[in-house]
Amino acid sequence: MLRAKRDAAVAQVPDFEALRTRAAAIKDHTLDQLGHYLERFEKKARANGVVVHWAPDARALCEIVETLLRERGIRRVVKSKSMLTEECGLNPWLEARGIDVVDTDLGERIVQLEGEAPSHIIVPAIHRTRAEVGALFHRHMGSPAGEDDPERLMAHARVDLRARFLAADAGITGANFAIAETGSLVIVTNEGNADLGTSLPPLHIACLGIEKLVPNVDDVAVFLRLLARSATGQPISVYTSFLSAPRAGGELHVVLVDNGRSALLASESHRSALRCIRCGACLNTCPVYRRAGGHAYGVPVAGPIGAVLAPAIVATAAARSLPYASSLCGSCTAVCPVRIDLHEQLLAWRREAPALPASMWRGARVAAFVMARPRLYRVATRIARMLWPLLARPFAGNPATPWLAARALPEHPGASFAERWRATRGAQR
Amino acid sequence: MSGRDVVLAAVRRATRTGVEHPGPHPAPPLPADFASFAATLAVAGGEAHGPFARASLADAVLAQARGWAAGGRIVVEPSALTLLGVTSIEISAPDAAPHSFADVAVAIARGSVGVAENGAVAVTGGDAPHRSLLLLAERVILLLDVANLVGDLHSAIRALPDSAWRAQLTFISGPSKTADIEQTLVHGAHGPRALAVFAYRD
Repeated sequence: MLRAKRDAAVAQVPDFEALRTRAAAIKDHTLDQLGHYLERFEKKARANGVVVHWAPDARALCEIVETLLRERGIRRVVKSKSMLTEECGLNPWLEARGIDVVDTDLGERIVQLEGEAPSHIIVPAIHRTRAEVGALFHRHMGSPAGEDDPERLMAHARVDLRARFLAADAGITGANFAIAETGSLVIVTNEGNADLGTSLPPLHIACLGIEKLVPNVDDVAVFLRLLARSATGQPISVYTSFLSAPRAGGELHVVLVDNGRSALLASESHRSALRCIRCGACLNTCPVYRRAGGHAYGVPVAGPIGAVLAPAIVATAAARSLPYASSLCGSCTAVCPVRIDLHEQLLAWRREAPALPASMWRGARVAAFVMARPRLYRVATRIARMLWPLLARPFAGNPATPWLAARALPEHPGASFAERWRATRGAQR
Repeated sequence: MSGRDVVLAAVRRATRTGVEHPGPHPAPPLPADFASFAATLAVAGGEAHGPFARASLADAVLAQARGWAAGGRIVVEPSALTLLGVTSIEISAPDAAPHSFADVAVAIARGSVGVAENGAVAVTGGDAPHRSLLLLAERVILLLDVANLVGDLHSAIRALPDSAWRAQLTFISGPSKTADIEQTLVHGAHGPRALAVFAYRD
């Protein structure tokens, strides 16, 4: 659905392909001179009264934010969507220290109340039905039991969150872009939650990855014309705010975060992944994401771009296995607004990442031996059919594959394909 | 070493030199007329009225504002008051606290530039010094000089005054909205439930 909207929006822009090319070139230039642009941004932002902090890793970001809040005795924080803070685990860090952090994007609020992670970059609760959201709001916001109309559910959330916006002592946001020439942050939302969260509380903390820099205000127009069209098919999001100074009587702090990005920058084959503007177009078109859903990835950013970033930024064994979960069809590369060669990147990670674990190699060798011998194969599949009912239901420690700890196999038809063929169409011949 | 030194050193080690900036993007051949702007804004859930002659602008705007407010609080920013030339409505006080607009029914401000390709209006800190007013109000009215309508976002950004980059600036395209529950579109997420742009000719 989002993919179709993207295509319709793109068709209305005569220069869309030229925009993609220019956007990629601007990002490549900025990344090449990133040190220069970071320092330029810092200088301009400081001159505008903004305080700039630097965080080499996730822990540094959490500590900087915690200190800013603690020094001011702040307990109530409203937050707008930021994949970076998901990546760095900022919410759990602050919650463990007694700070009340409320996610205000409707989808983020839903997953926060459910106690789960977002499953999509721009539609965090895409995996939840309206009935599930209704039950959740009934428990947490007192909406009537059985209410499942999205408009009325939003009305309940609006009242609940409006009170939290007005009571908050600080607003935490991400940023879509940071402009070196002017020291401005660019923050984009449809709901207006980032704007409320930064115009009401006296303290605004913006957390952004160092790859968010663009050189000047002309450049930002190129990205903004691509971003919403690629994301939701809108020509622009409802609110695109440029914040260059703290609000009257308030403070604005910016935290520039590395957390693995400089390592990607140093890699010839993966540097272009840092062009990403987090539109979600590659998720919406990916056949694997569309079937498996965002939670199957087990990392903050799902989909093709998530599988490209995770081996460097999350860097766990599970994250390094993600590039293998792809058909390499290249649909992601075809829609990426900044022309990241996503499927080539996945392939490059397969070359660089450690090969499959030994247990999987042994399994593959056994399978190859059996499949090359038809009689042995028939015996083996008969045994497998007998074991099927025992293994098909999910249980922890299932010997067939760890996947079956949480998933059931489909019901077995009771006969092999060859047997069914003989019994039906084969017999008619 | 400070966090700053660590990050900058890592970045400098990783970067090479010589990738040129591609230069500014040429403005695309997109229409800049009011009808195109109004049609795009309508898709975004907003409404566009006019263009009105300066003399008849105030009556049209006040009729809309009073109809929407139904007796509720209407607040106008000084930028718009100059255009409307009326004294019977509340003007935002220069030192008003951002929270003081929580019960506003209709807010009125001037916009600086309109963008036909996306139905957005740029509102600068000079147009609306109180950012929270245009977000807390149930409904918002923006006034736009049709002479300040451009076709595309590149032209819009170039048309803004330098002062726009020293305070706050927001491009607003329609009422606040969400599609986070089963991708069903709902207007009036956290901000205004409705937005109208009144265009005028000077």
